[in-house]
Amino acid sequence: MIKRILLTAIFTSSLFSCVVVKEYDKVNLNDPDMVLTDKPCDRNITTMHSYREAASGANGGKTGGGCGCN
Amino acid sequence: MRSKLKLLYIILICCSLLKVNAQEKGNTNYEYKKRVLETTEVDFLTSYYAQDGENAAVSGGIGTEELTDFTSTFVVSVPLNDDDILTVDAGISAYTSASSSNINPFDDGQGDAFQASSGASSGDVWSNLTLNYSHSSDDRNSIWSAKLSVSAEYDYFSLGFGGSYTKLFNEKNTEVGVHGSVYLDTWKAIYPIELRPFGANGNGLNDDFFDGRTITGNPNYDPNFTEFSDEGRNTYNVGLSFSQILHRNVQGSLALDVVHQEGLLSTPFQRIYFGDVEDSFIDDFHLADDIEQLPDTRLKIAIGGRLNYYINQKLSLRTFYRYYFDDWGITAHTASVEVPFKITDKFTIYPSYRFYTQTAADYFYTYNSALSSAAFYTSDFDLSEYSANQIGFGVSYVDIFNKAHVWKFGIKSIDIKYYNYDRNTPFNSNIITAGIKFVMD
Repeated sequence: MIKRILLTAIFTSSLFSCVVVKEYDKVNLNDPDMVLTDKPCDRNITTMHSYREAASGANGGKTGGGCGCN
Repeated sequence: MRSKLKLLYIILICCSLLKVNAQEKGNTNYEYKKRVLETTEVDFLTSYYAQDGENAAVSGGIGTEELTDFTSTFVVSVPLNDDDILTVDAGISAYTSASSSNINPFDDGQGDAFQASSGASSGDVWSNLTLNYSHSSDDRNSIWSAKLSVSAEYDYFSLGFGGSYTKLFNEKNTEVGVHGSVYLDTWKAIYPIELRPFGANGNGLNDDFFDGRTITGNPNYDPNFTEFSDEGRNTYNVGLSFSQILHRNVQGSLALDVVHQEGLLSTPFQRIYFGDVEDSFIDDFHLADDIEQLPDTRLKIAIGGRLNYYINQKLSLRTFYRYYFDDWGITAHTASVEVPFKITDKFTIYPSYRFYTQTAADYFYTYNSALSSAAFYTSDFDLSEYSANQIGFGVSYVDIFNKAHVWKFGIKSIDIKYYNYDRNTPFNSNIITAGIKFVMD
């Protein structure tokens, strides 16, 4: 567990050392397919996963609340 | 002449003073502030979902899991001023469920776990309303939001509220966020029909339900059933998020969600059959020995990461991985990849693949194998060990000029997606989803 936390910390801190991309150079990153979330139309499939699977969370989807017992 | 020159001199002085004043105003440090949301946007989302399987939790791990669901949602985002957005999210979901219809499998006469019944539990409507208010700072580097949600169906009511704070820095290359939410839910417990006579005010085998019905197998049916005294369920969620631009073509994010639940975490109408108790039947239907019993607390932790790579003008790569574990003994891995491919400047296709695997909960038993001496047990195959493959395909249409119109709204994009989900247990599902984004003129 400690090893995992250390690896995560090292990985996270290494991200800060990346080159800063200027606003005018973010054209590709601003492409709608590059967003770091699911598309709105994927919301219902994400909700279905949270009903049918034990795992949920860490994906911007439902983590609790509501029933989903059907 | 002299007076005219004097008048001209005064006018020139006044003009020069006005100009200086105007220049001073122009020199004031007024930065241009782009509105967070230029105009009202409306997302209409809809989906049709169908599933089938042979391990219904309602009938203790056997029986049909056939279910269909039709969902429609409107999400309206309104800019209140340059900095604030109010989002109203209203949805309704109507479903028919063969498994929950078997809460009373005798509606149509002969009870059978593999046949749907037509009673009141065969369908329901779920409705939801969520209000979200967000505020961005003048430099757009801080965003906070507050959320309130209400959802209801016949046997369940949920009230939720929460908030989030996001900070951008490093020239908006780095984003760190924290969010929290609380859901205060209440069950209206519905129990399997044959267990109700054994509740607090029931008459046992003398109840009208058993009149004219012959119990086969063990005729002295005596289930181990007690109604739940607490029908509340609270969920508390705290999450952290971190995203980072790694390159002009690559960005990624990490997320952590910690969820604590307490209260009635069992589903009151999910049957259990004990392996060490003699079986009783009416018709072909196995009478329940109890309902599932699960601990009244659960701690769930999920750690996820996304990495998106803009390969070229045509092709992108979207990846996701999540590790999950909880204190019921379940660990799970989720991995997905989507490859958006732009066919033209307006059309993009979205092939995707997702893999999911989980271990079983400590309290999971297959049909008729739980022990009556155990404190906790469930035959809900959603808590069993399994893996699942999902393939998907979607098409997206984007019109940046919003030429097509519906009333005062221009159509910005249309998305249609289809997913097939298949477990290595007898369960599969299909869903088709669609989303249309409108922008007000």
